[in-house]
Amino acid sequence: MRSGHAVEDYRQLVALSDNPITWFWVGLLILLLLALPGLVPTYTLVMASAVGIAAIGAIGLNLLTGTTGLISLGQAGFLAVGAYTCALLMADYGWPAEAAMPAAAIFTGLLSLVIGVPSLRLKGLYLAITTLAFSLIVTHFILYSENLTHGPFGVRIANPTMLGMDIASDVGFYYFVGILLLLVSLFALNVMRTRIGRAWIAIRDHDIAAQVMGINLVHYKLLAFFVSSSIVGLAGALTTLRLRFINVEVFDLLISIEALAMIIVGGLGSVAGSILGAAFIVLLPEGVRILLDFLTPEMKTAYSNYVYEVRGLLIGAIVIIILRVESGGLVGIWMKTKRYWINWPLPI
Amino acid sequence: MSALLQVRNVSKRFGGLVAVNDVSFDIQRGNIHALIGPNGAGKTTMFNMISALVQPSEGELLFEEHPLHKTRPDRLAGLGIGRTFQNLAVFGHATVVQNLLVGMHHRTRTGLLEAGIFFGRARQEEIRAREKVEEIIEFLEIEDLRDTPVGALSYGLQKRVELGRALAVGPKLMLLDEMVSGMNGEETEDIGRFILDINETLDITILMIEHDMHFVMDISDRVTVLNYGQLIADGTPAEVSASDAVIKAYLGRA
Repeated sequence: MRSGHAVEDYRQLVALSDNPITWFWVGLLILLLLALPGLVPTYTLVMASAVGIAAIGAIGLNLLTGTTGLISLGQAGFLAVGAYTCALLMADYGWPAEAAMPAAAIFTGLLSLVIGVPSLRLKGLYLAITTLAFSLIVTHFILYSENLTHGPFGVRIANPTMLGMDIASDVGFYYFVGILLLLVSLFALNVMRTRIGRAWIAIRDHDIAAQVMGINLVHYKLLAFFVSSSIVGLAGALTTLRLRFINVEVFDLLISIEALAMIIVGGLGSVAGSILGAAFIVLLPEGVRILLDFLTPEMKTAYSNYVYEVRGLLIGAIVIIILRVESGGLVGIWMKTKRYWINWPLPI
Repeated sequence: MSALLQVRNVSKRFGGLVAVNDVSFDIQRGNIHALIGPNGAGKTTMFNMISALVQPSEGELLFEEHPLHKTRPDRLAGLGIGRTFQNLAVFGHATVVQNLLVGMHHRTRTGLLEAGIFFGRARQEEIRAREKVEEIIEFLEIEDLRDTPVGALSYGLQKRVELGRALAVGPKLMLLDEMVSGMNGEETEDIGRFILDINETLDITILMIEHDMHFVMDISDRVTVLNYGQLIADGTPAEVSASDAVIKAYLGRA
């Protein structure tokens, strides 16, 4: 059993964590991630970069859906807007990645206000359908505005560099995504522990009470759309830099569902949950493959033939189990386990 | 000095239903003022008009000369009005501390970029707000519940958090909508003690809707009685309980 520690100063109360042990583990994790390229094969690094991009997207979505309670099925649309903005600025207008990436993020944020405005009157399912429609419109626009978007042919960009860093190499890109994920996580954690994050939580839990407490619903809902979609747009731009060739098929509607699965599995309204959930969903097929390696060759072949179907089935089953058993997601399970061991041998 | 809140010839019609009909009364600074009446008398409609959630069909509501009938609800906290709701309206998934901090929203100014880097004003404001929240936590005797999600608390404690949140607004006037309904004797006594304390030591004027007559007569300085949207009595508890109209409409003839 671990005993508590006395808080002596209000500065400790507003810290992200005032526990040196937590900071020690966070430091160790960052060191491990820094050393990773020397320890694992390139393929693992490529997967890690994919997880990082998905995690940034999930953090963005979680601010809107988990924290503010505005359900979005438009993740694929926002990713596409960010990815295409970045790709077109670089390929057709000769912008460097350093400028195209932030421009893509901000443009996605601003465009999200277009569906943010109807969201002021819509709730729950109706808003979800609106965001879904937005996603479809984006896909159609990309396909049929050939002069601007290259339509069905997709966009190819040259190998990008970022502030002198070679981000076309697997190792360089891995570090670049890692740095951005760290910055986005800190930004989200910080916003969530100030008046802005609390205003979003208040709107989610009881909008009328939030209003009477002085929270301007219009202002804060639109701010949630802007911040969330800017971060998702950033993830879209990163997708462009990673693939260096994009077309509409990259932004299938299923991406939106998977993004929702990530934040539900990881933990709604939690930054750590977004990262865990993204890692879980992205690495799921790999994990299953490794498990199956221990089984018969027939099952391996069957799995490689039906990997998408199996993946979809598994994601569905896991989301249902999480919602049924532990609605806090992986983060909720982690907190409960931690509390159990801290209090051990006393009951929770 | 004029009354803190003046209700002037206020009516509210919902379609054909007259919820409040030409009601006028004043709330004096420093009072504990009770608004009573049978179900459907228009009490909550009156509350919602004072909180700018509902616009009156006719009449004026003046809070320190400021027209509440032309105000947006999110301006209320800034004017100095805090309120609780008839049914629980806490932020259930947020902790007690977070709930109370939301009450201080209008007193802080941190913008998005400052919040994102959590530096300078953002941090200073958080520290100051936490200090104030600690005072409220101590006042309401909920020290051991700071980091508990409010949804996990008992009804009585959730109500207490809601009271704390209204207090965090730093109000001149507090609107309390049926604080003690559904509470047991001990919880009612606790809330009564808190209301008296808030009124006396923090010098906050109280307007409350209540059904518990003993509770109302015990702690109120003044009572206003509505029945079918009409004002039928307005006076001290003694005057009101002696009024024929009130006895007939509400307390029942002995």
